Amino acid sequence: MDYSWSWKVIIHSLPMLLAGARLTIRLTCIAVGMGIIIGTFVGIGRISKNKLVYALSSVYVHFIRGTPLLVQLYLFYFALPALLGFPIPPMPAAIISMSINSGAYVAEIVRAGIQSIDRGQMEAARSLGMTYRQGMRFIIIPQTFKRIVPPLGNEFIALLKDSSIVSVIALEELVRKGYIIMGRTFRSFEIWTAVAFLFLFMTLPITQLVNYAERKLQNND
Amino acid sequence: MIKVVNLKKSFGDLPVIKGITNEIRQKEVVCVIGPSGSGKSTFLRCLNLLEEPSGGKIYFEGKEITDHKQVDINLFRAEVGMVFQRFNLFPHMNVLENICLAPMKVRDLSREEAETRANLLLKKVGLQEKALDFPDNLSGGQQQRVAIARALAMHPKMMLFDEPTSALDPEMIKEVLDVIKELGKEGMTMVVVTHEMGFAREVADRVLFMDDGLIIEENSPEQLFNHPKNERTKMFLSKIL
Ligand SMILES: Nc1ncnc2c1ncn2[C@@H]1O[C@H](COP(=O)(O)OP(=O)(O)OP(=O)(O)O)[C@@H](O)[C@H]1O
Ligand SMILES: [Mg+2]
Repeated sequence: MDYSWSWKVIIHSLPMLLAGARLTIRLTCIAVGMGIIIGTFVGIGRISKNKLVYALSSVYVHFIRGTPLLVQLYLFYFALPALLGFPIPPMPAAIISMSINSGAYVAEIVRAGIQSIDRGQMEAARSLGMTYRQGMRFIIIPQTFKRIVPPLGNEFIALLKDSSIVSVIALEELVRKGYIIMGRTFRSFEIWTAVAFLFLFMTLPITQLVNYAERKLQNND
Repeated sequence: MIKVVNLKKSFGDLPVIKGITNEIRQKEVVCVIGPSGSGKSTFLRCLNLLEEPSGGKIYFEGKEITDHKQVDINLFRAEVGMVFQRFNLFPHMNVLENICLAPMKVRDLSREEAETRANLLLKKVGLQEKALDFPDNLSGGQQQRVAIARALAMHPKMMLFDEPTSALDPEMIKEVLDVIKELGKEGMTMVVVTHEMGFAREVADRVLFMDDGLIIEENSPEQLFNHPKNERTKMFLSKIL
């Protein structure tokens, strides 16, 4: 074993890797943001008494959670354009599939959050003459915020790591950048170590925040 | 004021209310007593349609409210206040917001109107200095009084109480019962499910004894407590008095 570790390679490739990391973060933020919007509606749909709403949201959640993100990405990048007759560029394809993926996971988080609220809360709202919608909006949903922060943080971390999958459609996020630099330098040990640590630097603060939020929550109730 | 005819309610295969016919008149205070599991809460919750009856009819001021096509359930519920055993205050809002929310959202009151109303009610239940506190920082008795003020803020025509003092420490029961008594004196129509026999004796115009999903006996408190006619009523009273 006389592999000589080269700091120079890392320092030289750092700007490129950081650019990749930025895209990774951007993709994840957009996807989780969209995921929260989709997930809020679908999560409410998952406890709906309306059979059609319930069925549609359940099918969506089960389909997404039961299939790999990679396959979902291919569906949007290769299969859907074939159907539509025009191509979808990598960036929109990545954002759409990651958002839709995230939406299903957030939906389950939202559903669990709503179901963790005491039934008496909705009953009190209804007994005052509020509609189901008003009860959800003013009473139930605001109370779930606190409870869903930790699982949302975990979802963010999970998606941040899974976002490396979009490297297969040539989006130059962190992992793709790693490939590119490796192709030029053949210093795989340094490059992949650097990539790993960059992921760690991104996820670790969020993990800490999640832990902190969980501890605060336990003290509160 | 409210009339039920052959009211029935089942949960799945389990019949809980087995055919109740009764009428609560305006300004009447009716106490409901009976053993645990006899269906008192379910009966009360049917009265404001928190539980959908499986059979029978309910009329409120002459209109059939079990007929969904004719009546807006939300408007009807706004006319009927409900107070729960476990208070069910909204923990993410302070006392004032708890009271003002429904009048603003359901009755379209402005914030000022709602707050004026809320402050009057807080004074009435003796809690005006707690307006900006959060429910978690109040004692059980105080929370229940806020819950009563919250229900009254809708200016209901009738109030339903489901064991309003069962979750309270003994020393707080009186402060809540006093508020309810006062309401009765002012002429509020009320149905109170309670285990407080002294209270029922004092404020009720009529007491209903329920067992096994039916009203077994009803009478004035004096008659029902001192001269119960039905064997089951006698047995129940002998156990608790
Ligand atoms: N949502 C529900 N689903 C299934 N069963 C229920 C439900 N609510 C009540 N029950 C059942 O109905 C019966 C009557 O309950 P209810 O709460 O009306 O009794 P209660 O007279 O109020 O008793 P308690 O004095 O203990 O409050 C009980 O056997 C209870 O288990
Ligand atoms: Mg009960």
